[in-house]
Amino acid sequence: MKIKDHKTDRNIYKPMNGRIDDIIQLTADVRLFRVKTEIPLNYKPGQFFMVSVWGAGEVPISVASMPDKNRTLELCIRRTGEVTTAIHSLEKGQTIGIRGPYGNGFPLDISKGRDVVIVAGGIGIAPLRPIIQMLTRDRDDVGRVSVLYGSRTPDDIIFRDETVEWADNGIKVVLTVDKGNDSWNGNVGLVTGLWPEVLADFKKAVAYICGPDVMIKAAMRDLFFLGMPDEMIITTLESHMKCGIGKCGHCYYGARYICTDGPVFSYRDIKEMREP
Amino acid sequence: MKGEFILNKNHLSYWLRQLRKNRELIGPLMNSGNGIPGNSQTFGGANDIVFKSVDRIHEIVLDCPASLPSPKEFIFPQYEPMLKYNRGETTDKQKTDEISSGFHITDLKDRTRRVIFGVRSCDISALKLLDKFYLEGYSDPYYAARRENTLFISIVCNNPDPTCFCIGLGTGPYLEGGFDIQMTDLGDRYFVQTGSSGGAKTVRAFSFLFSRPKKADYEDQYEAFLSSKARFQKRISLEGIRQMILEGKVKDAFWQSVAERCFECGGCVYECPLCTCFTVTDRVYSEGIERIRLWDTCMFKGFTRMAGGLLPNEKMVMRTKRWYYHKLIHYPETLGGFGCVGCGRCTITCPGRIDMATVATKIKGLAVNSQAS
Repeated sequence: MKIKDHKTDRNIYKPMNGRIDDIIQLTADVRLFRVKTEIPLNYKPGQFFMVSVWGAGEVPISVASMPDKNRTLELCIRRTGEVTTAIHSLEKGQTIGIRGPYGNGFPLDISKGRDVVIVAGGIGIAPLRPIIQMLTRDRDDVGRVSVLYGSRTPDDIIFRDETVEWADNGIKVVLTVDKGNDSWNGNVGLVTGLWPEVLADFKKAVAYICGPDVMIKAAMRDLFFLGMPDEMIITTLESHMKCGIGKCGHCYYGARYICTDGPVFSYRDIKEMREP
Repeated sequence: MKGEFILNKNHLSYWLRQLRKNRELIGPLMNSGNGIPGNSQTFGGANDIVFKSVDRIHEIVLDCPASLPSPKEFIFPQYEPMLKYNRGETTDKQKTDEISSGFHITDLKDRTRRVIFGVRSCDISALKLLDKFYLEGYSDPYYAARRENTLFISIVCNNPDPTCFCIGLGTGPYLEGGFDIQMTDLGDRYFVQTGSSGGAKTVRAFSFLFSRPKKADYEDQYEAFLSSKARFQKRISLEGIRQMILEGKVKDAFWQSVAERCFECGGCVYECPLCTCFTVTDRVYSEGIERIRLWDTCMFKGFTRMAGGLLPNEKMVMRTKRWYYHKLIHYPETLGGFGCVGCGRCTITCPGRIDMATVATKIKGLAVNSQAS
């Protein structure tokens, strides 16, 4: 084995600066951070970045946008732990540490000519958003597109304005909540109760799923029983991570590293994963 | 690269003294017992023999037990500073422009040149897998920097401990290759083999100390090897165990019985020359922030804790099973060898007696029992 010690200043663990150019409050605990990076980054939907605040630490965050020439990157972050709380305390103009992109990203070419079913729960909409944006732009490449999106309450619906835009672009958007309120007259219940709403030939469709663990499991199983081939049921998994590059061991599961082998897996991959 | 020599024992300390001139010399030393808690290099029991920086060469313990702590911490330390972040002008040439935090990030990679004397064959075998793990795919810059600057002088174990089982795994007590310099104790002299260009250079630079081996030396070396082989008390083949697990013959009830004996101390992981997990954390000091990494262990419940507090591996059985599956199933698939080199350190450390050797023996027992019934 040739050991390469980079004598240069290059170090994969060293984050670059990202300047927060815009912060959009999406719900009570979710904000969208528009970040400008030092150099242009080439990333795919489903990949993630290690985002850090010095003194607080580093967390994996998946991208919520498509790459563009302006070196901007959108990160949709829910305030839930130490680091995300630190990120939420930052203001416009301040910098955060960014390194990446890591992970495999969603297989998008398999959706060509097929119906697409997107199933999201809560903050799980974030990594799926760039796919939806891409599909609204390249609407002719695929068949019918349905988005099922479940939230806790109507106030927790992230990108609520954008769901209207998506619908205007010929995407069937079905929202549901766990618990409604006075102004809500839409669906109440689980996303997995919405299969009849989906415009798709399940046997020839592709699904992209992201959300809480239980939702992912239920949605994958349901779609499989509805006749969707297991390699066409795609999800992205979440895990505690410290490095993002397959070294720290935290995301090791079923003989795979979620960071480098994933985070995107098909139902077939997941069924083949060995416990634990 | 490959060479065979004889070194008279009287010349050993002179040779090491010369090597120390441009490298830090590390060797097995008796621990004084007073030091900083949390730093295994300075802390420990008074009679422990540990790898330490050698101040007085005559204090190196040549006849130490085979199972002294692994020198893993010199290439993957328990505590490693990674980056330092403090206020100041950035000198980073990559920086394009307007985006600057007004802070400067310093890389704290350790490039100290070291020579580690007295390493055991099992630990040299572990290096092969560690190299593959850390350097393939995304290369780990901290490991790479330390690894490239460290030379290993290993010693064949003429007197294995009762806990050693490298013999069944082909990871010791004597190696055919993969070492920098391998030495076999022949009583009044060492049989020295070089296996890498770094090792060959180290010997060649002091060629006046070394002589060509004669027929008698080869015979003595072979004899030492045979007598060492005969001294092993444990013979464990992990391949059979792996097959049994793959065939589903090891049920969850078995792993449950293993988990029930686990104290969650993490000792097996910290002693293991092939355990690689770490955590990263920031330490805030008055003069800046240091990002450091520390050994971590999958035996702890919090190892997989996610934001929001979800614990995917809350049950102990998940964690013990994960450790064994990782070492017995995943390592052979991805790195081409077991995640165990038979050093037997977990056998010494584990208070619950659920170490690799014991568990492997129990699994083997399952096969015997199932055949009987």
